[in-house]
Amino acid sequence: MAKRAINNVKLGFFVLAGLLIMIFSLYMIGKDTNMFGSNYTLKVRFENVHGLTSGNNVRYSGIQVGTVKRVKILSDTLIEVSMLIDTKMKQYIHKNDIVSMSTDGLMGNRILNITPAKDGSPLAENGDLLITKKSVSTDEMLETLDKTNKNIRDISQELKLTVLKINNSSALWKLLTEETLPDNLRASSFSIRKAAANADGMVQDLHTIINDLRAGKGSLGSILTDTAIAYNLNEAVLSIQQVGNHADELVRELDDLTKGLKSDVNSGKGPAHAILKDSTLVIKLNNSLSNIEKGTEAFNQNMEALKHNFLLRGYFKRLEKRKK
Amino acid sequence: MPLPPTWQQFLDEAGGLSRFTGRFFSQGFKPRYEITELLRQCYIIGYKSLPLVGLTGFIMGLVLTMQLRPSLISYGAESQLPAMVGIAVVREIGPVITALIFAGKIGSSIGAELGSMKVTEQIDAMEVSGTNPFKYLVVTRVMAATLMLPVLVILSDAISLYGSYLGINIKGVISMDLYFKQVFDALSFDDFVPAFIKTYFFGFAVGMVGCFKGFNSSKGTEGVGRSANSAVVVSSVLIFILDLLAVQITDILGLN
Repeated sequence: MAKRAINNVKLGFFVLAGLLIMIFSLYMIGKDTNMFGSNYTLKVRFENVHGLTSGNNVRYSGIQVGTVKRVKILSDTLIEVSMLIDTKMKQYIHKNDIVSMSTDGLMGNRILNITPAKDGSPLAENGDLLITKKSVSTDEMLETLDKTNKNIRDISQELKLTVLKINNSSALWKLLTEETLPDNLRASSFSIRKAAANADGMVQDLHTIINDLRAGKGSLGSILTDTAIAYNLNEAVLSIQQVGNHADELVRELDDLTKGLKSDVNSGKGPAHAILKDSTLVIKLNNSLSNIEKGTEAFNQNMEALKHNFLLRGYFKRLEKRKK
Repeated sequence: MPLPPTWQQFLDEAGGLSRFTGRFFSQGFKPRYEITELLRQCYIIGYKSLPLVGLTGFIMGLVLTMQLRPSLISYGAESQLPAMVGIAVVREIGPVITALIFAGKIGSSIGAELGSMKVTEQIDAMEVSGTNPFKYLVVTRVMAATLMLPVLVILSDAISLYGSYLGINIKGVISMDLYFKQVFDALSFDDFVPAFIKTYFFGFAVGMVGCFKGFNSSKGTEGVGRSANSAVVVSSVLIFILDLLAVQITDILGLN
């Protein structure tokens, strides 16, 4: 009888172990499908659900928060998806949070991602409709890739042609196989370097000159920088202008004078006319001048006589003595 | 039109088994119940089978993991190993392998035990002494087999998954937490519940066939060996047929 009791204990232990493992695994399986614990429902509407079915996971910023409860067709362009969300998430999910669809891994199941909107909208209540964001579907990606592939094909064809042309070009190959070319190039580059160094020196010189100019050194500098010179120049120019004006007047007056003279000479008025035009006057003048010549000769003789006169001889002797 | 003798024999067997099953249902649920004998049979059939079942389960999990690993690596899906092994073990490998081992051990022992009792006319003596031999021998054994196989399968699943965890850690590294998290993430009730329900049928089939073969054994001691042998063969075939039915039914119910 005692042995039978021990056997029963063993049996009970065996069965309980089985039951415990079963309950544990049922709980573990059920935990993710939100069968236990309280939930609330959020809704979202898509144009295309890309194979999303009930039981697919819902994630909030990458954390598993619930599952898809039902996918319902509202109209030909609208599909409503109900999500069962853990009640603990009620304090995090806001009304303006964005729901997008993506794939778990590269080939995995469809999942819904809730992304926080971060705009301070009120918390989502049971049955609220969240906003969706259109996700990039594989088809669209493939379409774009197709275009890219075509472009790459065109480009590679062009590249092939270019390479063929390069390969067929004898001039280029000659250039590439030319052995003196590197030496020449090196010499050229050396010259260029020297020229550049010279240019650099020149530029530096110019730089110093410009600096000097700026500092007002040298005549050019003073011209450019001294304001007094500019004033003086201005004055000088003004004076020159005035002189010019005066010259104008003078010329006008001279003009008038010559005109008067001309008319006087021509009309026979005044002494000029008499001098220039009267021939009898010339004869008279001639006579007068010869008379004066005779008179002066006589006067010279008189003066010589006077020198030798006793009365005046003493004076002249004193003059000669002073000269010596 | 006379049927070929093999056909006739087969139909005779099928009819006999059906009648025997009907007798189990008609008598099994009426008082008085042989509770003590049922517990004793449960201990023998369930508890005593655990080491064998546990060993095979452990080896199956380990081997399955190591066999799956190279092909999963070639797909670059090595991280899916726990999920794959978990689903394979819980859905199919665990129930079927355990049931087959169970049939080998329990089916043969029931067949041999009842067969030798029949041949030595102990059953007839029991009837004379006023005890219902069908209730005392058949119902308790079938009930025990039906109730114990699911428990064995669950324990075997757990041991298999542990073996698979060790199998992954032979070549790679995975923590116990992550391993079981991945296994249970991959599993759903659709995987677990149908597999669990079908184990009741497996256990029932093994117990029923073993008892039928033993109860109807004849031709002396030679018949005892034959009934033990045919009990194992028929119950193993029945397990596969039931498995086929189960997968069809779960498919129709949309649980696959």
